[in-house]
Amino acid sequence: MPKVKMKRTGFVIDMTPLVDITFLLLTFFMFTAKFKSEADSEQKFQIKRPKTQADTAKLPEKDVAVIRIAIDSTKATDTAYYFSVANPELWNTIKEDPSLSEWFTPDRKESSKGMIKTVKIEELEALISVTRTQSKAFNITKKTSADKAQMRFAIDSDKRIRFKWISDVMEALRRTRQTQFNFVTDKQQ
Amino acid sequence: MAGGGDLGGGGGRPKRGKNSKRKAKKRVGFRIDMTPLVDITFLLLTFFMFVTTLTTPQVMDMAVPPETEDIEVAESKLFTVRVREDGKIFYNQAKDIPLPILMKELRVKAIKSNLDLKNELITVLKIDDNVPYETVVNILDELNLAEIKITQSLQAEKLNRVRKFTISPLTDKDKEEIKGL
Repeated sequence: MPKVKMKRTGFVIDMTPLVDITFLLLTFFMFTAKFKSEADSEQKFQIKRPKTQADTAKLPEKDVAVIRIAIDSTKATDTAYYFSVANPELWNTIKEDPSLSEWFTPDRKESSKGMIKTVKIEELEALISVTRTQSKAFNITKKTSADKAQMRFAIDSDKRIRFKWISDVMEALRRTRQTQFNFVTDKQQ
Repeated sequence: MAGGGDLGGGGGRPKRGKNSKRKAKKRVGFRIDMTPLVDITFLLLTFFMFVTTLTTPQVMDMAVPPETEDIEVAESKLFTVRVREDGKIFYNQAKDIPLPILMKELRVKAIKSNLDLKNELITVLKIDDNVPYETVVNILDELNLAEIKITQSLQAEKLNRVRKFTISPLTDKDKEEIKGL
């Protein structure tokens, strides 16, 4: 008896479970995705943070002012302080503060939307001081106590930076009576 | 259930005539080609997977003493850690001569000194301006790790840990003391 040759016509896989799972993952990643803030997108340098074992607290996402000290990839000598505040509303009031107008000129404002670059410690100190007073004023406008939070300061420095840069910032923080602050680190794997 | 038109007769649609030629079609499930949908979904999925940063940086707590007048402290309770320009670490307690110490030995030493003097010891960290920041953070990390052990040991003795720690500048006098060691 001759065998009847069946004509093969492709095959169909039920893709429904696959689509289910994929959509689930997609929605998860869509909700957890955090996009770069204005300060991050302006950042043209990369910070190699020192690694530690003892730290467990995470860097807060808001109510935090970050002072970045980085080594410029092209010129090792070109080190500067980069100051930024996580809260955009507060950030705009800080930038418009009259006490900064002396050195924070319109063209400097133009070039520093997300973070202010400075090499002078006095300018950084003025920024810290303004941030402290403005964040206090900003807190009063908040209605619920849950929205009110103390401004935190963090120093995010490259591990190769000389300690002089950090001790200068610490001195500036001390002079503005901000005695509590944080160092930003990475987890040691 | 859009198919069964003349069941019960309560529906909004007018009944068809008796001689209707149309036969009620039996509907079987239908298939949609999902391949393009899956393609796009996977594309989006991979995009979001690459874009998300799951590691958030950590923070280490630091505090500097407020600018007030110098507080007199007994020198015998001072545990000084000095870091020289070349990254070498020296420690001394009270008026002892500074001794070199390795980074990995620092934790054990800090635990021992602290437990000897139970909450009385004041740790002072003095760092040269030219030391890389990484060294500073590593020392602070070692002291923080020691702190966990100290707190545990003191708790076993029903004592609360009060940490006394400060960073102060490395003066010329300090530099002289650790020179050539």
